[in-house]
Amino acid sequence: MKAIYKVTDIVRLGVFSLLVHKVRSMLTALGIIFGVWSVIAMLAISQGASYESQISLRRLGSDNIIIGSVKPPEDAMAAESGALHYGLTHQDVARMRDNIPGVLRAVVIHSTPKLAYAGGANQHQVTVLATEPGFAGVARARMKEGRFINSLDMLRRASVCVVTDSLADKVFGHGSPMGKTVRLSGMAFVVIGVLDRLPGKLTGGPADAGDYVLIPHTTEQMRFGDMTVVQSQGSEVFERVEVSTAILQMVDEQAVVNGAAIARGMLERSRRQVDYQITVPLEEIEQRKRQMEIWSYVLMAIALVSLVVGGIGIMNIMLAGVTERTREIGIRRALGAKRRDIVVQFLVEAMTLTTAGGLAGILVGLVVPWAVENTLKFKTIVTTQTLVLPFVVAVAVGLISGLYPAMRAARLDPIHALRHE
Amino acid sequence: MIAPEADVLVSLKKLSKVYRMGVQDVVAIGGIDLDIRQGEYVAIMGHSGSGKSTLLNILGCLDRPTGGRYMLGGEDVSVMNDDALSEIRNRRIGFIFQSFNLIHGLSIEENIEVPLFYQGVRRSVRRQRSTELARLVGLGGRLGHRPRELSGGQQQRVAIARALANEPLVLLADEPTGNLDSNTTNEILRLFEELHSAGRTIIMVTHEIDVAEHAHRTVRMADGAIADDTPTARARA
Repeated sequence: MKAIYKVTDIVRLGVFSLLVHKVRSMLTALGIIFGVWSVIAMLAISQGASYESQISLRRLGSDNIIIGSVKPPEDAMAAESGALHYGLTHQDVARMRDNIPGVLRAVVIHSTPKLAYAGGANQHQVTVLATEPGFAGVARARMKEGRFINSLDMLRRASVCVVTDSLADKVFGHGSPMGKTVRLSGMAFVVIGVLDRLPGKLTGGPADAGDYVLIPHTTEQMRFGDMTVVQSQGSEVFERVEVSTAILQMVDEQAVVNGAAIARGMLERSRRQVDYQITVPLEEIEQRKRQMEIWSYVLMAIALVSLVVGGIGIMNIMLAGVTERTREIGIRRALGAKRRDIVVQFLVEAMTLTTAGGLAGILVGLVVPWAVENTLKFKTIVTTQTLVLPFVVAVAVGLISGLYPAMRAARLDPIHALRHE
Repeated sequence: MIAPEADVLVSLKKLSKVYRMGVQDVVAIGGIDLDIRQGEYVAIMGHSGSGKSTLLNILGCLDRPTGGRYMLGGEDVSVMNDDALSEIRNRRIGFIFQSFNLIHGLSIEENIEVPLFYQGVRRSVRRQRSTELARLVGLGGRLGHRPRELSGGQQQRVAIARALANEPLVLLADEPTGNLDSNTTNEILRLFEELHSAGRTIIMVTHEIDVAEHAHRTVRMADGAIADDTPTARARA
């Protein structure tokens, strides 16, 4: 019991002597406050940014391997009967699907720019994606209305289409586009469904393109063939691309990693020129993750430096306090204070400073990310960990930086301490 | 000194203190024998450098002898470690300094309570005791004040109250009137006289003869040895 009275009294004593030197204590705590909140804010901002970028990549599907056809440099291309023939073929895709282990399904897309007309005064530049039913699952596309292309549509080569939400708004205005007709190069397609936005990279179109019309692949072959006409420097150039994009959906992440390597090997051997590009969202996610990790370590290091600076401030004030209060220490020792009583007294002072500073730092550290999110529109993420870690570090810094002055104070010879002026 | 052993409170046997200054040894106290009985009022006199302050520091367990033996209340203090010595200072000794040595950040009552604080005495009990002690040394209602707000004589009274807080075996005073004018000196000496009458053992270091004359026994030191050990006129009277 006695020991408990003594401990609470010594704690009270420590807090009391801080209050005697208010300004000095405040300035010292300020170092810790800055250290703690800057660590919290930096972690919150970098985690927010990392989350954002991962979300956008994840939308591409981390279980997909995306292989797109790319137009090779002009001079490397063999002109075949006036048409430029390049890119993936159905044969390539079938070979990959059959020989790469762990392929859940393979989906091909043929994309062509076309003008769409749905009555009214304007035609609309759209990208027509000729694909198959599996696309919806691979692209994680959500239906807003109606249904996606099914196998019956494929079989019947039906003149049906699915449009993206943004296009539906532009072409049909308000009201549901379901059942209405869109003309593509003069041919009529009935709208059977409306999709949310699609990620551009998946469709082989421009990254920000949102205006898509999706039709059954079989229907396209029957109606348009696979020739694309491109206006180039006043003359018309015909391009022939069988498959614009092939998406291999794999069973798991391991299959993605292995499959990507095999696909690269296969294409390197079978294609005469590099007219394809393999995108593995999983690899990009991993890479982005690593970059973000490095970035957050850098930020953390900077913030930790400021915590350490705060710690040095505390050590400084404590050392000054020891020197200033040498006489007091002597008196206390003469009246029966043990060495550890003196150590505890000074440690309590240091710990009180850092704990109070740490708590205030957490408060500011909560406010700053909130303000950043609301003014700069950066996504920030504050987790318990990012709050606790800097606090623990701050208290540890206080403990360490308080310990040395405390030990020095306790080691003082009582007689010499008493004679100190 | 013919006295029954039981009465002897402080017993020094061949006590010495040697400082090492570089390669040279400086003898502060060169093997002295001294017994002080319960209830005695002793003045230790001597010129500066005679070893009287070193002696008082050793008696007060602030310093350790390099040789010989120091028994305090039947315990061999000369072999104790730092913690045990702190305990002895805390429970057995009341120290009064020339420069009062009050803690400026603390109030009067808190200053008086410091020894009790380190004993782990409950706050309410401490408060009660400090109020009693303040009354005993003639400090009325100034308990909440800071030491700097008091006169020298009053500060020394606070220090005396603090020295009495732990009911010490012995009161040690190092030039207790050295910083005081003659009026307050007399007041403090009167207080010492009262404490002595109440049965306290007091050992006081001073270099002033008229102060020493208030004690009942004078030990005169010179060059680290006891030159003279006599009852004062007051004791003979």
